[in-house]
Amino acid sequence: MQAGSAKSSQTLSAESANIVELKNISKSFPGVIANRDISLQVARATIHAIVGENGAGKSTLMKILYGLHQPDSGTISVNGYVTQFKSPSEAIAAGVGMVHQHFMLADNLTVLENIILGSEPTKIGVLSLGDARKQVKEIATSIGVEIDLDLPISELGVGQRQRVEILKVLFRGAEILVLDEPTAVLVPQEVDELFTNLRKLVATGTTIIFISHKLDEVLAVSDEITVIRQGSTVATVLPKSVDRLKLAEMMVGSDLPSHGKRTTKVGATIQLAAHNLTVLGKDNKNPVQNVSFNVAEGEIVGIAGVDGNGQFELCEALLGLVASQGTIEISGTDVSKLSIRERLKKGLAYIPFDRQREGLMLGASLWENSLLGHEQQLSRGPMIDLAAAKNSCREIIERFGVTTPNELVPAFVLSGGNQQKLVVGRNLATAPKILIAAHPTRGIDVGAQAAVWEEIRRSRDAGMSVLLVSADLEEVLGLSDRILVMFDGEIAAELDPKSATPQILGKYMTGTR
Amino acid sequence: MITKSKNSRLLMFVVGALAVISSVRLWTGQDALTSSSTIGTALRLTVPILLAGMAGLWAERCGVLNIGIEGMMIFGTWFGAWGAWQSGPWVGLVLAILGGMLGGLIHAVATVRFNIDQVISGVVINLLAFFGVRYLSDLVYVGKPGGGISQSPPQKWALPRFNLPILSGGEVAGWKSPDVLGRLETNRWFIIGDFGGITRGLTSDLSWATVIAIAVVPLSAWLLWRTRFGLRLRSSGESPVAAESLGIKVNHLRYYGLLISGGLAGLAGGTLSIVASSYYRQGQTAGRGFIGLATMIFGNWRPSGVLTGAMLFGYAEGIKLVASDSITALFLFIAAVSVMFFVLAVLRRKRTQIFVALGVFVLSAVAYRTIDTVPESLTQSLPYVVTIVVLATANQRLRPPAMAGVPFRPGEPH
Ligand SMILES: Nc1ncnc2c1ncn2[C@@H]1O[C@H](COP(=O)(O)OP(=O)(O)OP(=O)(O)O)[C@@H](O)[C@H]1O
Ligand SMILES: [Mg+2]
Repeated sequence: MQAGSAKSSQTLSAESANIVELKNISKSFPGVIANRDISLQVARATIHAIVGENGAGKSTLMKILYGLHQPDSGTISVNGYVTQFKSPSEAIAAGVGMVHQHFMLADNLTVLENIILGSEPTKIGVLSLGDARKQVKEIATSIGVEIDLDLPISELGVGQRQRVEILKVLFRGAEILVLDEPTAVLVPQEVDELFTNLRKLVATGTTIIFISHKLDEVLAVSDEITVIRQGSTVATVLPKSVDRLKLAEMMVGSDLPSHGKRTTKVGATIQLAAHNLTVLGKDNKNPVQNVSFNVAEGEIVGIAGVDGNGQFELCEALLGLVASQGTIEISGTDVSKLSIRERLKKGLAYIPFDRQREGLMLGASLWENSLLGHEQQLSRGPMIDLAAAKNSCREIIERFGVTTPNELVPAFVLSGGNQQKLVVGRNLATAPKILIAAHPTRGIDVGAQAAVWEEIRRSRDAGMSVLLVSADLEEVLGLSDRILVMFDGEIAAELDPKSATPQILGKYMTGTR
Repeated sequence: MITKSKNSRLLMFVVGALAVISSVRLWTGQDALTSSSTIGTALRLTVPILLAGMAGLWAERCGVLNIGIEGMMIFGTWFGAWGAWQSGPWVGLVLAILGGMLGGLIHAVATVRFNIDQVISGVVINLLAFFGVRYLSDLVYVGKPGGGISQSPPQKWALPRFNLPILSGGEVAGWKSPDVLGRLETNRWFIIGDFGGITRGLTSDLSWATVIAIAVVPLSAWLLWRTRFGLRLRSSGESPVAAESLGIKVNHLRYYGLLISGGLAGLAGGTLSIVASSYYRQGQTAGRGFIGLATMIFGNWRPSGVLTGAMLFGYAEGIKLVASDSITALFLFIAAVSVMFFVLAVLRRKRTQIFVALGVFVLSAVAYRTIDTVPESLTQSLPYVVTIVVLATANQRLRPPAMAGVPFRPGEPH
């Protein structure tokens, strides 16, 4: 236990029922105070939720507990011992495991390699791959996960990557599990499954700290909830004593987003259409099989489905990122032979599934990121019009409430939700004709979610067509004019949001109907 | 974990290639195409390229580009030759490795410790090596018999060479064993004769340095894919952020990776000045460090691929040395192979591949009919052309280490 020896006083703290105690933690980054005097107490073998608006400092606090950041002041005690983790390996040795908000996986390594990395079972330095495989398989079955251990990560969908991350932590035998927005891309059934499994772990003595913006889920599964606002703790409450509204109020001091009835009408002209669209797969199975649909002017068509049922490939095919068979039409003209750029010119915009992988240049400044795809409008001759580009970025920051010191900082300093707002803003700012939006509010807090929904509705009323892919059923039900359910690469059902419920959707999504 | 079908496909491929080259040999009467002397020379020329390629592989696998391989090889040639001149070839080889590691260490300190741009650091190492050893020569070699500013005195000892017993007539405890493959080669039958020539070339007149170099391939594969050290080293080239979040010390691994890379490059240089010749000469590396990098790309950053690529370059260079008039026969070989690719491409309906195969066929057929002597510059560029063609048509996706070349600062927010 190298962690303990680092700086541990042998004094057992008074309330040893608390497995984790963070006291008066402060942490500032250049220009921002991420945590100011935060305290957090987590009881052993419980599920403890942390909620708070985007940029409130949740991830930062958890990274401090995991040894990735060093606090400016304050103390951490784990298991009653005051410690100081200088690196993640010390935290891991002390039994802390963390699943990060943005996946920390090596794309070209296999699932198995990613899971065992850093804690490899070996015999005199040689990997015991057989043993490792057996152990991982055991853990996977114990929490009901099925996954091919020999695939490279690059071939997995977001949901499966999430599972790999969780397996990774469990493989290290973590006693304290930190999950930073583990459910952001999972549909309710998967969330239920995940939490049933996590409950099993809690029963064996594991403690779970998890961060989420989905308040229903927080209320349903947690034993205690800590609310953070602008870097300090507001309160720790029991789920019984609050409801969504109250939580939201404590978080952002504003009302819950609501889905008002739409007063405008869906237009008549078809703006986006796909006929018999098929994306050929590597094996005999096609990720997208014979999909046909159209989206009219001013219409929002929601696509619901468990991650990995072809939504990703469908979006890529519409955009031209992968080859497909069948036809794709924009405003009546066949675009299936056109390049991506030409399709974008015809008015297509895309909010990608994974903001960090497909949406942002993390090392580049915000204004450069918001410039992407709009270089033509924001340049003078061959030169980029710096003033105009920065101006347009400032507009996005203001309109979408991106919390940031200015538009010059690199994208990685933004909190996850604020990165998402920037990506959404970039795509809505230019008033596209057709928006393909994948998880547009992934990781965005309830307050900002309302704002993004409002923006999408406003653009819709102005005639924009939207294809909305989302794991958030409330979002799909609340925004869409029509819902398509994708299962196994095909459209399994078309539903009317007025009569559909999450339960009905869930049945189609899992193919039980 | 090679499956059975993979094995049989490999066998079919080998037999097919043999059949084609054998037909070409019989057709043109150029026996040198598959003679044991050509293959032996090719093998000797393969060794430094192979080691340079493996040096590149180790560096990029741990996440650092290594443009400085050429310079590390120069260190290897100089220190190797000095050691061999002073105290024999084995000491020379060890010093060659150490010399290369010195280059690797400089590269590591520059890129990992001080975050200097990896390409710039590599280029600087090349320059430093070139002028550095010239300065050393001035100090050590000038005035010695046979030595000078651009050349070392010749070495007195050479590394022992041997033939494999029974297969190629090697001696076992004084007993002169039969030369089975040699007999196969001399009959010159279709396929059998070529098989004999090629295998005899690979098993006779071997230097221990060659054996060591070839052993580097499986050893590296084993280290990188079967040991904890290897997995961690690859992870720091694929996703240093993920590795760090699991408590892995990325920068330490990059130091190790670059030391190994430098050592291999140094050994590559050593084989040039100790095995392939018996003295150090300025410009001895002749761009082989860069050819090595090409084989690394050709080989998709895998040891077996690097070996294949290096053999291709080695063969092209070998045939140029041993039998330069056989080169025109190679055009016929390329034409025949492109016909095979053409058929495959038609079967698989890959349009670009059909056109490329057709184009290569026409070009090589025309070249075969019209060209008698191939200009030096063309033969020298042949390996590069082959690499470009193969890279352009490779149907397997290239998988370079994802974060090779991207600086990593531990402990910084990401
Ligand atoms: N590496 C960094 N450098 C500079 N500032 C940072 C860095 N990481 C976070 N911040 C800032 O610290 C604040 C808190 O960020 P944090 O990621 O903890 O938010 P969060 O509560 O996890 O939000 P979200 O719900 O959007 O993920 C934000 O203002 C963010 O911009
Ligand atoms: Mg966060």
